[in-house]
Amino acid sequence: MSTGNPNVSYFEASHGIKNWLYTLDHKRIGLMYLFGILTALMIGGAFALLVRIELMAPGETIVGPETYNRLFTLHGAVMVFLVIIPGVPAALGNMILPIQLGAPDVAFPRLNLFSFYLWCTGAACLLLSIVFGAIDTGWTFYTPYSLGGDHTPVMLAIGGAFLLGFSSIFTGLNFLVTIHKFRPQGMGWFQMPLNLWALYATALMQVLATPVLGITLLLLFMEHFLHIGIFDPTLGGDPVLFQHFFWFYSHPAVYIMIVPAMGVISDVLTTFSRKPIFGYRFIAYSSVSLALLSFLVWGHHMFVSGQSKLANMVFSALTFTVGIPAAIKVFNWTATLYKGDIRLKTPMIYALSFLILFTIGGLTGLFLAILSTDVHLHDTYFVVAHFHYVMMGSGLVAFLCGLHYWWPKFTGRMYPERIAQVCAVGVFIGFNLTFLPQFVMGSRGMPRRYWDYDPEFAIFHQISTIGAIILGISMFTQVIYLMASFKIGKKAPKNPWGASTLEWDAPSPPTLYNFPEPPEVHEIYEYDDIVEESPDNWVRVNRKGTGTKAEH
Amino acid sequence: MTAGHDHHAPHGPGSGHDDHGDHGTHPPGIQHHYDDAQHQFDSGKLGIWFFLAQEVLFFSALFVAYVLYRHHRPEIFAYAHHYLDVKWGAINTGVLIVSSLSAAWAVRCAQLAQRRGLILCLSITLVCACGFLAIKYIEYTHKIHEHILFGKKFDPCVSSGGQHLLTNGDHCPGTKRSACRAADVDLRPDQPGWQVACKVKETTPTGTRELPVCEMEAHHHGPAHAANPPCWEISQNPWVCKAGDFNGTPGVAALVHYGDHALRGSSTKIELECDAAKAPPTPDYAADLPVVGGLGQGTFQPKQKLSDHDLGVQRSMGPPPEHTNMFFSIYFCMTGLHGIHVLAGVIVCIWLLIRAVKGHFTPQYFGPVDYFALYWHLVDLIWIFLFPLLYLIH
Repeated sequence: MSTGNPNVSYFEASHGIKNWLYTLDHKRIGLMYLFGILTALMIGGAFALLVRIELMAPGETIVGPETYNRLFTLHGAVMVFLVIIPGVPAALGNMILPIQLGAPDVAFPRLNLFSFYLWCTGAACLLLSIVFGAIDTGWTFYTPYSLGGDHTPVMLAIGGAFLLGFSSIFTGLNFLVTIHKFRPQGMGWFQMPLNLWALYATALMQVLATPVLGITLLLLFMEHFLHIGIFDPTLGGDPVLFQHFFWFYSHPAVYIMIVPAMGVISDVLTTFSRKPIFGYRFIAYSSVSLALLSFLVWGHHMFVSGQSKLANMVFSALTFTVGIPAAIKVFNWTATLYKGDIRLKTPMIYALSFLILFTIGGLTGLFLAILSTDVHLHDTYFVVAHFHYVMMGSGLVAFLCGLHYWWPKFTGRMYPERIAQVCAVGVFIGFNLTFLPQFVMGSRGMPRRYWDYDPEFAIFHQISTIGAIILGISMFTQVIYLMASFKIGKKAPKNPWGASTLEWDAPSPPTLYNFPEPPEVHEIYEYDDIVEESPDNWVRVNRKGTGTKAEH
Repeated sequence: MTAGHDHHAPHGPGSGHDDHGDHGTHPPGIQHHYDDAQHQFDSGKLGIWFFLAQEVLFFSALFVAYVLYRHHRPEIFAYAHHYLDVKWGAINTGVLIVSSLSAAWAVRCAQLAQRRGLILCLSITLVCACGFLAIKYIEYTHKIHEHILFGKKFDPCVSSGGQHLLTNGDHCPGTKRSACRAADVDLRPDQPGWQVACKVKETTPTGTRELPVCEMEAHHHGPAHAANPPCWEISQNPWVCKAGDFNGTPGVAALVHYGDHALRGSSTKIELECDAAKAPPTPDYAADLPVVGGLGQGTFQPKQKLSDHDLGVQRSMGPPPEHTNMFFSIYFCMTGLHGIHVLAGVIVCIWLLIRAVKGHFTPQYFGPVDYFALYWHLVDLIWIFLFPLLYLIH
């Protein structure tokens, strides 16, 4: 736990760069994560734009095929490991989770800081691999691609991903213990905000899936340097085993990206509909069941890798079951909107975008779960479009949603609402322009990861590139106005959205230990007591008097 | 559904969060975002359990690889485990069980405020952990010496033709080439086009037999070795000196490697006999070849004197199945990763020992000892699985 004056905001509690670098305060660590992640987002986005511009026309446009391979590999690795996986849990979760619990900090503040520095080291290694020639294996590091070539970039990229994995494990462990042990009096498991349920489910996956990535990368590392042969068929090893190990982690990893996003969306939809969430328990349970199912479906990435027919059928059937909790969520969210008092603030625009994009992403996932269609669609742009709808259209959009939603809380400043709304619409339009054409060309046989293509695909690629540019401009503008709002933004009130969860009872920005007084725990998602005192400033009036004092 | 069961002894009324900056309200060792010692202890304990779950998953991939490869190639596992010494494995199992007992006892001592007992128990754990690593070191060096390693580095002593596998590190240097014993003989096939053939004869009290020659190489006599690179490359027996690659330096010794690396006692005599004869002449230099024959003879004695016991260690198991190296990849990954965990335990144990000597632990604050003990039991447990899976295969 960090030291400093506990009665002023965490920005002012202590000063100097050292007090930030050695801080144990979850909000400062969260904010540092956020800066790191936004930087990585810009880098990953730049790679994406370069890839899209290269694909503007058949043949060479701006880079050659080898550079292209490196670009899409780096885009994938940076976006997955540095942006989306840590985005909601490590950055937003760190800042919000303890406050939503009414707690002064996470359970293990030193471990939290250690995770952050692991993340920094891992990120530095991954990005440093660019300097030494970069890797061109795709973010999946499939053997035998990842066994050849130069040692240095592979070592850096694999080592970086290994460290990032452990950063993720320790963050998850911290959150699990915090949620178990730091809930205040009056907040049982089913009085928790759904965001915490989602973070809990995510943390379970982080702790139980990421170690498998760790050992897999360690084996790959030794394969590279000691030729141990576990994945090398010439020495009797099995390269497909790498795929099994990798996807045993990386399928849950996809859910590590989407489940916390669902938590954010649950909180935001109820706030801006000013209606209690519909089917609280179903959403809570569906988060946990998604976490459990995530461990049982990895084989659907390998339908054409020579798995047995039986395994394919089992994995296909299990994959369909994922549709159940996902659909439960979507139906409950839609029901929450029904007859709600909907306000289209920026977070709400993102949340509604999420609903549409996630539905498309989820349903196209079923195409790929069907064995016969997957054989046709495997490794085409259809898959690229599908997972971008889920990972970016849902995961990253929810990150932006949560970022805007909680921005007034953790910075104490309002972002410019009008520009933000325009950008949010820009993201939605740009995103669909980029990825809808990819479904079409994928189903017509355009393979993914190809540098060149037949002229018949040119029109789709061009629409896609234009969409990507709109998306890029919207994203970049956001980073600019968010950073500017630090200095020139309007001062944020305690509760600008009329939200009901505990973090909105803390000052904006919170004091060093979050609450000057132990907060009262109220009934979850109950809006009757919250009224708009002045525009964008909501206060709680105690009509029912049902609140209980939180104890810390 | 239980509400708020997780909080223990909350602050009295009126004590808000503003007292969190005040260390005075908490006993030593209790961080101030916890309500009290029990809250901190419970949080830490839950944390370590999640960490152990993480550890189990970290090792799981290796166990899966083990099951997979053993299922696919059972003969490799049945064959290769003979290289492992059950004696050392069993001793290490015992060592770890003792250390686990002393770790558990250390927790008890900490709870009962028995400081000397705590120090003693932690010391026993530490000594056992180091002992385990020392024994592992002995096993590893033995394997490294015998080239019983992973991947391409799996290159153990095999008799010529691969019929016999030999396990005796001191007398079996490992690589296939150097495993062929070398013997020197002075030869003078001064001109290209000569063919040299060697025979190796072994005489023991029970009789005489001929040993196969694996390869031959040449060493120049005389000082200017670097200036006169050997013209003879490693080659099969008989060797033919090729035209143009011999610089004519007189006095060339042939180094003959012969196969069959059976371990030999000092009563064994090895004799080497080489003949140089004119190869079928080629038009270029057929005119002025000198006629030389029966050029060299040498004897060779084994350098080490082997005891009868060492000779008895020689095992005959037939040739290793293809990809026997996979067993050792898995063996070294699993035991290596386990060894790293033991090493981490040693470091933590030293840290705990220092804190115990300083008297940091009390019946109210002994969490670190408890967490370490839990970790140590897991490390022990993993070995309990590794020992039968790797050493005791039938």
